[in-house]
Amino acid sequence: MFSHYSLRLFFLLSFFFLIIQPVITQAQNQVTISGTVRAAEDGENLIGVAVAIPALNTGTTTNPYGFYSISVPEGSYTLQYSYVGYTTQKQIVTVNKNITLNVRLEAASEELGEVVIQAGNLQEKLKTTQMSVEQLTMAQAKLMPALFGEVDILKTMQLKPGVQSGGEGSAGLYVRGGGPDQNLFLLDEATVYNASHLFGFFSIFNSDAVRSIDLYKGGFPAQFGGRLSSVVDVKLKEGNNQHFGASGGIGLIASRLTLEGPIKKNKSSFVVSGRRTYVDVFTGLANRINADKPDYDPIPGYYFYDLNAKANYDLGPNDRVYLSGYLGNDQIGFQNSGFNFNFAWGNKAGALRWNHIFNPKLFANTSFTASGYRYNISNALQDFSFNLSSQIKDLSFKTDFDYLPGNGHAFKMGAIATQHNFEVGRLKAGTDDNTVSFNSGTSYKGLEYGFYAADEYAPAPRFSLNYGLRVSGFYNGQDNFSGIEPRLSFRYSLSESLSLKASYTRMLQYIHLVANSGASLPTDIWYPSNNVVQPQRSQQVAVGLSKLFGNGKFLLSDEVYYKQMRNQIDFRDGAQLFANEDLNAEFLFGQGRSYGNEIYIEKKEGRTTGWIGYTLSWSYRQFAEINEGHWYPNRYDRRHDISIVALHQLNPRIHLTGTWVYGTGNAFSVPAARIIVQGQLGDNSSFVPVYTERNGYRQAAYHRMDVGLVYKLRPKRGAADLTFSVYNAYNRRNPYFVYFEQLENEDESQTIGFRARQVSLFPVIPAITYNFNF
Amino acid sequence: MCPFFKQYKSVLLYCCLGVLISACNMEKDFEIELPTLNPQLVAECYLEPGQPYRLTLTESTAYLASPEPEIINDALVIITYKGQPDTLRLAPYYDKVSRKIYTHVSETRMTGKPGDMYTLQITDKKGRQLTGTTTVQNVVPIDTVEALYNQENNAYLLVKFKDSEATANYYYFSVHKDSLNTRDEVAYSTDDALNNGELFALGTGYDFQKNDTAVVSLYHLEKPYFDFMNSIENARNANGNPFAQPAGVQSTVQGGLGVFTALTYDRKILILK
Repeated sequence: MFSHYSLRLFFLLSFFFLIIQPVITQAQNQVTISGTVRAAEDGENLIGVAVAIPALNTGTTTNPYGFYSISVPEGSYTLQYSYVGYTTQKQIVTVNKNITLNVRLEAASEELGEVVIQAGNLQEKLKTTQMSVEQLTMAQAKLMPALFGEVDILKTMQLKPGVQSGGEGSAGLYVRGGGPDQNLFLLDEATVYNASHLFGFFSIFNSDAVRSIDLYKGGFPAQFGGRLSSVVDVKLKEGNNQHFGASGGIGLIASRLTLEGPIKKNKSSFVVSGRRTYVDVFTGLANRINADKPDYDPIPGYYFYDLNAKANYDLGPNDRVYLSGYLGNDQIGFQNSGFNFNFAWGNKAGALRWNHIFNPKLFANTSFTASGYRYNISNALQDFSFNLSSQIKDLSFKTDFDYLPGNGHAFKMGAIATQHNFEVGRLKAGTDDNTVSFNSGTSYKGLEYGFYAADEYAPAPRFSLNYGLRVSGFYNGQDNFSGIEPRLSFRYSLSESLSLKASYTRMLQYIHLVANSGASLPTDIWYPSNNVVQPQRSQQVAVGLSKLFGNGKFLLSDEVYYKQMRNQIDFRDGAQLFANEDLNAEFLFGQGRSYGNEIYIEKKEGRTTGWIGYTLSWSYRQFAEINEGHWYPNRYDRRHDISIVALHQLNPRIHLTGTWVYGTGNAFSVPAARIIVQGQLGDNSSFVPVYTERNGYRQAAYHRMDVGLVYKLRPKRGAADLTFSVYNAYNRRNPYFVYFEQLENEDESQTIGFRARQVSLFPVIPAITYNFNF
Repeated sequence: MCPFFKQYKSVLLYCCLGVLISACNMEKDFEIELPTLNPQLVAECYLEPGQPYRLTLTESTAYLASPEPEIINDALVIITYKGQPDTLRLAPYYDKVSRKIYTHVSETRMTGKPGDMYTLQITDKKGRQLTGTTTVQNVVPIDTVEALYNQENNAYLLVKFKDSEATANYYYFSVHKDSLNTRDEVAYSTDDALNNGELFALGTGYDFQKNDTAVVSLYHLEKPYFDFMNSIENARNANGNPFAQPAGVQSTVQGGLGVFTALTYDRKILILK
């Protein structure tokens, strides 16, 4: 089924790791200290905590489940656990055999006047071989000003270098020149297919339920695969296992509520989060009031909701089980006399995970996940109904091992298998009396699989290397596609505060998003690879320098990248994507290329925190049938992209926040000429634009400032605040799109001219949200 | 049923944008320098059974140029049928019945039978040459036209016809109220991908009442004209829609832009009871 070559290579590499390990193991007796690090006040696993043994000049960090393991010669040591936002803890131990040391860190007191961010510290970021990753903490995201007051972590991610938004208000991500379908969104390890509500204006992630979010732009670790351009790894909170709590907020357009608490104190907890918009309540009211006006067009009702639920249970000292689920939906509907229209779309995801500690050196996480995305458009006239739907359903099994033999190597290996079921363009229509009825649509299945093995190793004191291989493939019932994805990165410490990093990754993508537009529309279709539509491939090389200064408070990094993408998909003119049994014929295939430089400076501790990022980049595509085969700029080719984010704690009760973004205008196509077409009897004649070059014109530059103020209230119980934000504070009319207007004479009988008009979307928008927590 | 969906997809998007944009007056004019294309010959010619040859010849202009049309008076326009060339003479006029402007006409009437081919050739003093061919399609007859009423005494029309399985077929469906020289009530094109070889049903909205006269036309198009029609629609829609990719006009002629096609249709008149 899979190519013998890849399989053999994989086994060879695994063997290599297993053989070399005992050879390198040192002669003297080694013991292992392992355990989990959690937050004292709520029991949440802490990821990326620095565990250091200063005497041995060695250390490690906790894995995504809070687990760490460090091997030392027998003796007495002081272990130091440090994490931003928490008080550093020291533990003195004497070891002559393996021990388990579970640590609870206390949150740093807010009275110190510092912003509590809770994250890996900058020192760790300097030392890690992992480059090209952006981390976002909820504490920061919640303080920042937001559109309509709705905190949106994907929009906050767009403020990081190398990550762009598709357009005003859009939550789509364009990472290093890659398209929105090339991002892997993981919600507690379950894949999410459409990570936004309302055509990309809001993301589906409820900030109250999220613990952390990591976005990889390059240097992808071997455990990730399936998408070319990014991995957005969202981890949800586990829930407070000490005491019950509720938190939430009431905002301009939506409200949220989160309930969490222990199921069994210290052993098990749950968390449930929900969010819903209520614009439809007001539009419904307006419609009812105006129902008897003859010319009144009812405003369509729109709403969305999300629900996250999670529970976890400690089965014993070595086992923990987690169960999480997500349900979200968007709905637009309107009714008129005899006419009923409804458009609904949404995601479902669920994950059951089991952490098992085999021994102090071996940790495993096994998960079963299921996810699905579906949209449904239904339409009913008096006697005639019409229903169009598409969906994708996944069932996955994955297992990941962390093996730390204690000789300076840290191995990761694992496997994943996903069964995909696609239903594309199912169209059912007919009259009530069944004189006319038809049903069409196509179903596809596919099995996507991957195996990987990687090692993190420091062959010399200043040199750290992470090398790995992923073998992946896709079997669609007839053909099998597979390939190898080498992943390499290294870090060389030029000095205590200066690191040089480089990485090479190869990625393969087997399922594709068929979208005939630039926006992330819910009607986008996920489509499997087949003999015509080959898997997409990319290779990326990145080199960077990181410098820590200001006494460890500031990290300055500069990264240069080059990415090449093959088997990119676009559409022939006039492509018919719906009710089409031969979608293959609508596609065009080509290649893409992007490169650039990202420079970034960040500060995570102190009264003022934030970052400044500047990206200079190019992103081009080339298709034989588009633009006469010449390279043309991608719509989202953005030459300059600047973000400045600042959060300042003015006093214990007031936080001031501000962001400023600047971007070169999007590339788009303009007509080179115009013709008149009269059409048939009964048609009016019209002016038709003639387009020649693709994306040859630039919109004006985009820039915007948002400001916010968070005012802490003093409620009797718990905590509360009022968050004010002003989106687009200086009210700039940023271009959203450009069109050409036909000017007519007074009685509209004749066209007298044409002019170009620019449409902007959001003017200055103030918003206020009330947040509570107890 | 694709036209229904296409219509509503736009409605959906425009609804959301429309509410936002109209609420805030977020538009403004701006200066733009557009790329230029050498002016191309644009020919639009539909050959109708029994009608004299009529053609409209114009030029492509810069997009923001003034809309005054320029007559091309140095062009030689020839339509050839069964080896016989026929030169159309320059006689621009406005036809009140069809409400269209024609620039070149000939007295020769179109008598082609299904399967016959016509060719068009236009040359002008600037050295531009436009050519095109068309094949006459067979008539697809309308089976039935029914009017179905709702509670408010408004009716919609349901038109049925049989599609032939042997070939891929393309149709243009239009309904006029009372007479042909008014704006149509409904008009759209469709292919037979979903209904190949079956009974096809096309409908209208609740736009008719008792005693109205409905003129129903079912055109059987050749593929190049169907593609041209759709590409015109897509190119027009690309203007003003931030979610669309602009499409090129797919002309049925070479050496220029436009369409040259023989029309075949069946027409039924129904007086609603």
